[in-house]
Amino acid sequence: MSESSLHTTRRYFLGQCTDVSVGAMALQAMGQRESSGLPGLPHLAPKAKRVIFLTQSGGPSQLELFDHKPGLMQWAGKELPESVRQGQRLTTMTANQKQLILPGITKFSRCGQSGATISEWLPHLQGVADDVCFIKSMTTDQINHAPAMTKFLTGHQLPGRPSMGSWISYGLGSLNQNLPDYLVLISKMQRPSDQPLYDHYWGSGFLPSRYQGVKLRNSKDPVLYLTDPEGLPRHLRRGMLDGLAELNQMRFEQTQDPEITTRIRQYEMAYRMQASVPELTDLGDEPDHVFEMYGPDSRRAGSYAANCILARRLAERGVRFIQLFHPDWDHHSRLPSWCTARCRDTDQPSAALIKDLKQRGLLEDTLVIWGGEFGRGVAGQGKWDSPEAGRDHHPRCFTMWMAGGGVKPGMTYGATDDFSYNVAENPVHVHDLHATVMHQLGIDHERFTFRSQGLDFRLTGVEPAKVVKDVLV
Amino acid sequence: MLKSPLLLTLLSLSAHAEPVNFSLEVLPVLSDNCLSCHGQDEAHRKADLRLDTEDGAREVLKSGDFIARITTDDPDEIMPPPKSHKPKLGAEQIATLKRWIAEGAKWGRHWSFEKPVKLPVKGHPVDFFVKERLTKEGLTPSPKAAEHTLRRRLSFDLTGLPPDPSDRSDLTDLIDKLLKSPHYGERMAMWWLDAARYSDTDGFQSDATRTNWPWRDYVVESFNANKPFDQFTLEQFAGDLLPNATPEQKIATCFHRNHMTNGEGGREKEESRIDYVIDRVNTMGTVWMGLTLGCTQCHSHKFDPVSQHDYYSLNAFFNSIDEDGAAGTKATPYFSYQSPHAKRAVAEAQKLVDQRKPVEAKAKIDAEKPFAKWLADQQTKVKGGFQAWHVVNGSVESQEGTKLAQDKDGIVIASGPNPKQDDYRLIAPVKLPRIAGLKLEVLPQNGVLSRGKSGEFILTDIKVQVRRKGSTQIRDIAVRNAVSDTKVEGKVRQYGDIKGTLDDDPRNGWTTKGYPKDQPHTALYELAEPLVLESDEELIFELLHRSTDGDANIASFRLFATDQRGPAVRELGPAPLEQLATGKIERDRLFAQFLEDHAPYQVAKASLDRASADLKEFTAAAGKLNVMVLAERKQPRDTHLLVRGVWDKKGDVVQRDVPAAIAPWPQGVARDRLGLAKWITSKDNPLTARVFVNHVWQMFFGAGLVRTPDDFGLQGQRPTHPELLDWLAVDFMESGWDVKHLIKTIVTSETYRQSSDLTDPSDPTNLLLSRGPRFRLPAWMIRDAALASSGLLNPALGGPPVRPHQPEGVWEEIFMGRFTYEPSQGVAQHRRTLYAFWRRSIAPTFLFDSAQRRVCEVAMTRTNTPLQALTLLNDETMMEASRALAKRMLAAKAEERLQLLYQAVLTRSPTEKEQSVLQRELDRALAHYRTHPEDAKKLQTTPELAAHTLVASLVLNLDEAITHE
Repeated sequence: MSESSLHTTRRYFLGQCTDVSVGAMALQAMGQRESSGLPGLPHLAPKAKRVIFLTQSGGPSQLELFDHKPGLMQWAGKELPESVRQGQRLTTMTANQKQLILPGITKFSRCGQSGATISEWLPHLQGVADDVCFIKSMTTDQINHAPAMTKFLTGHQLPGRPSMGSWISYGLGSLNQNLPDYLVLISKMQRPSDQPLYDHYWGSGFLPSRYQGVKLRNSKDPVLYLTDPEGLPRHLRRGMLDGLAELNQMRFEQTQDPEITTRIRQYEMAYRMQASVPELTDLGDEPDHVFEMYGPDSRRAGSYAANCILARRLAERGVRFIQLFHPDWDHHSRLPSWCTARCRDTDQPSAALIKDLKQRGLLEDTLVIWGGEFGRGVAGQGKWDSPEAGRDHHPRCFTMWMAGGGVKPGMTYGATDDFSYNVAENPVHVHDLHATVMHQLGIDHERFTFRSQGLDFRLTGVEPAKVVKDVLV
Repeated sequence: MLKSPLLLTLLSLSAHAEPVNFSLEVLPVLSDNCLSCHGQDEAHRKADLRLDTEDGAREVLKSGDFIARITTDDPDEIMPPPKSHKPKLGAEQIATLKRWIAEGAKWGRHWSFEKPVKLPVKGHPVDFFVKERLTKEGLTPSPKAAEHTLRRRLSFDLTGLPPDPSDRSDLTDLIDKLLKSPHYGERMAMWWLDAARYSDTDGFQSDATRTNWPWRDYVVESFNANKPFDQFTLEQFAGDLLPNATPEQKIATCFHRNHMTNGEGGREKEESRIDYVIDRVNTMGTVWMGLTLGCTQCHSHKFDPVSQHDYYSLNAFFNSIDEDGAAGTKATPYFSYQSPHAKRAVAEAQKLVDQRKPVEAKAKIDAEKPFAKWLADQQTKVKGGFQAWHVVNGSVESQEGTKLAQDKDGIVIASGPNPKQDDYRLIAPVKLPRIAGLKLEVLPQNGVLSRGKSGEFILTDIKVQVRRKGSTQIRDIAVRNAVSDTKVEGKVRQYGDIKGTLDDDPRNGWTTKGYPKDQPHTALYELAEPLVLESDEELIFELLHRSTDGDANIASFRLFATDQRGPAVRELGPAPLEQLATGKIERDRLFAQFLEDHAPYQVAKASLDRASADLKEFTAAAGKLNVMVLAERKQPRDTHLLVRGVWDKKGDVVQRDVPAAIAPWPQGVARDRLGLAKWITSKDNPLTARVFVNHVWQMFFGAGLVRTPDDFGLQGQRPTHPELLDWLAVDFMESGWDVKHLIKTIVTSETYRQSSDLTDPSDPTNLLLSRGPRFRLPAWMIRDAALASSGLLNPALGGPPVRPHQPEGVWEEIFMGRFTYEPSQGVAQHRRTLYAFWRRSIAPTFLFDSAQRRVCEVAMTRTNTPLQALTLLNDETMMEASRALAKRMLAAKAEERLQLLYQAVLTRSPTEKEQSVLQRELDRALAHYRTHPEDAKKLQTTPELAAHTLVASLVLNLDEAITHE
């Protein structure tokens, strides 16, 4: 806060303006300083302005959904050759069981002009295949959920680092003065999930906490503490905040502490959020055809489908990083009923989001990412030839997709071996994904560091990471 | 967090007259720019050149092109190279290096690895060094702060609570009084708990509850007893190894068990165990030595003299704990302990139950009279017969193509295509005053219940929803419970139990397999709350058949709805009123149904139930508890260096040892945890006392003398007042590690007592201490202060954790309902934040900028965000405190009320100007609530109380109320 702007503020306060609220005036006077990102950023011309990250928690099976391996039929029930497994670690859930191969249980189609292979369980995604870029050679090095998800989102397996969304909102700043830069939406499920979604997944780690993701909740308080108590009408709140600002301003005159001026501004932002957030989360003003596009579940507040509509609304309002979480992809058993349940939740809305963004001209500068923390193994878990069978975690390869934001549409990148076990060509490590996402936003991941505890940290860690240029327009 | 350019400039300017100071001027330049490639980490060392040792540097300088390499413009030659992304050295830095070389390139050690020296001082040591420095920079100290400000400052710093407005003792007495207060220990403990990553749960996937809170009470008691810090250290590292260890000394070792534990299925226990050992070493490094040892897990430290070998040698001290990496209730070793502090909690809860029990009993008796009237009414009503259940008639549809039709009796029959899986929907207006429950009949068709080959149906889930005509949106209706006329044994994730239809999980659900398939079956669904449909609203009942094998769609069904609550929707068979209609008076069932709808009774019962639940919880806490502690296993484990820090990539075996570069191992001491603690607190250790003094300084000044409290290494910041830090550190050791003595030294200084106004802009971040400390109070202190100034605070010490108010559903969202949060009842609600239950995966929501307690944290973060504003405006605790303050105001004379409020919250009287603003807001609020008493009613208050509550809330939100001034 420079001296001159402080004095401007003071002049406003000393003036006899009674028609405008004091706090609101203070806000105008102080300008929109918090919108700017870090000096020097972006490093390069950005292709994407914002990200919608459709996080599928639990590890969706690439074998059932994307990575078609017809050759596996002849291996059905046979033991996975050690030449393929090469000492890959298993979780203790299947470490003591024979690794008998369960070929993918779904039918695949070649879709669109690009001919991408997509499972029958994702019929809507099949319809937008030409807008999507599939990366079939994703790889990570964590085999259990929490460490793998933490790595997937923060670049390190132990909690305590900033998540990608925090890095990006810290680096690039805000596009909207009435909403936080990084918002998180979690699907409302009826069943207790086996994998809790910890708030460190969207935490700011060692970055200032204002860059942490703000969770939009599906309740009367979409943001914690947002709603004033019943019986406190808006105009009284306004008056109370004016009184507060006035007394705080007196304190400022005395102490010259610029934190006080910031605080006045933050109380104003809080007041504005009380109006802007409910307006945003109430989908009542969306026309019927939108709900038809996103599917029947979109009419149910808190569902993944409703959150997809909300994500588009946030994108329209300039929120920088929008992250959805859909839990329960951890299908250790009963693939036919369990995995299809999650496909039903997500397929139509995910595809609709792409179509919707495209129709509105938002897809070109919005990067949409779909994926989970790891994939699933080719061996059946449980009795391989029963419908009860599922699959264990598998970090060595999995599939993700991206759309928009300067990523090549209608592309399939990378490949796995005949067993969907190892990456056969063009491996993309989660750090490479991070580097690529940052690149699209105009950030050179090697130059974007933050010093904490004596070290310069970056999202992509110390080992070299690469931007996957081949998938970029 | 960021290096202040001011500090660097000041340091270099002030040093110009004297020879270059290697440790403060040269080493930082080398460290920042050179050591990541030319340091002790062999693996990453380039060109085999090193600048971290005297010999290495001599060799580099001998070559003669050192200055040329850092000043050239040739991108292939310049150091640091462009690909390191480090900028070229600045002119100032180059000049320093040139002067250093010209003066003979004298080598030295990093400042924090040299032993601290206590220089002679005149007058108060703190003021002596601070003023010396200020004079040098041409600055003058600020005047003394106002008396009430100092009282607040001292009271918050020493007890974490605002001062008692009636206390008039002078400042010297006040300091003694505060240091003797039992709240002193609580205040210090809150800091220590953050550093110790203390939590009431494990963290990670299962996040199971642990009962380690007796350790928290040990910490409070240790600070209150002013236990010397070396003894406090010794007990927490190795209380179990002390001769004749007391139970408390054994519990002390829980410090090193406070790390997260991972009980995720599929997790290797050994990997977890190694994580825990690593966490202990890292925590020790941060808390006691200000070293970032974590870096050396994977490679030798690039900057500080700790090799990867040293790191695993430190690990060896913690590697033979009798543990196996398990979490939850198997996280041995435990110490069985009964806390003396739980009795009070039990007594408080018992008192509350005793208060509420007669209220509930009376409410039940009071209900008899209206019940008699209700019963008489019902008897008249049911004379002509009574039907509890009404057939739901509406439209039917399916998702996948099954043809559905409803006949005149309301029976829905499936025909046509028979997909493997399908969802049926019945959409209907229901002409009942309300819906309390639904009854589903599955009926045989052609002698079987399903359309599948087996004739058995599997209903995986049901959904109850409401849609308003013309609205685009649907709302879910919660179902509380389900019962059926079939029983099943077996695991949850199998088809059978009707409750499986409530969880949206297709892997379980209802089937009547094992019963005759030509007989009808019935299920009852009780709604969580009776549902009242508007005239334009329709009920949607959905039946999902999504079983793993499929081919089990229901052949025929019928749905009924009822407005009857209680037994009617919980038990199959005739409803109480149906029995009544046949002349059978089942009094208990009828009364149960009546009470269900009798609000006065329900309120009393819910209130008693919650108190009883608390009592049960505290009673359990008063018994023997398992506290996680350290204990050595009989056969020590070999400790290996782990290649790149990976748990199962074992390198060389290492022995228990410490980094010699820091301090030598004390003579004649065994190589165990006791010895390690003695090494840490040995007078030869240059770090521990400095680091501790810095923690305490940070607590009172908002920032340390070293502004990176977690990093005293080469990459950390240099101290702003190195001689002062050293003086205090040596004095602390000489005093016998007397913590209260150290604190008293600091708070009796004039430096501490300066005004904190920012009138002089020349030192914006107060690096030179030209004014008093000013910073926003930690969130926990804001909450405690609100409770204290409103008179709500329950000042009891110790005992089982409690649950302060937080918004509904926060835990439930994270764990999808696996954990629920019920705020504590009665006086347990108003305990200090120190005692708030800490769930590792979701810290208390009302604490912003707080440590997360996942890993050790000693640095303070302070941000200023709209979310904090919302928390302080709308948090239930803040509202309760406002209401309590308002009640106190209303008990006083009208003209004294604002005065009382300001005194209670700010320890001062309002100025006239302030008074007029407050009066204006009070009048505005009064005017509103007097004309809108319904709003006051919504707040469960009178108009007067509502208006005063709002003004009290305003004052609790003032910058002055939440700032350490």
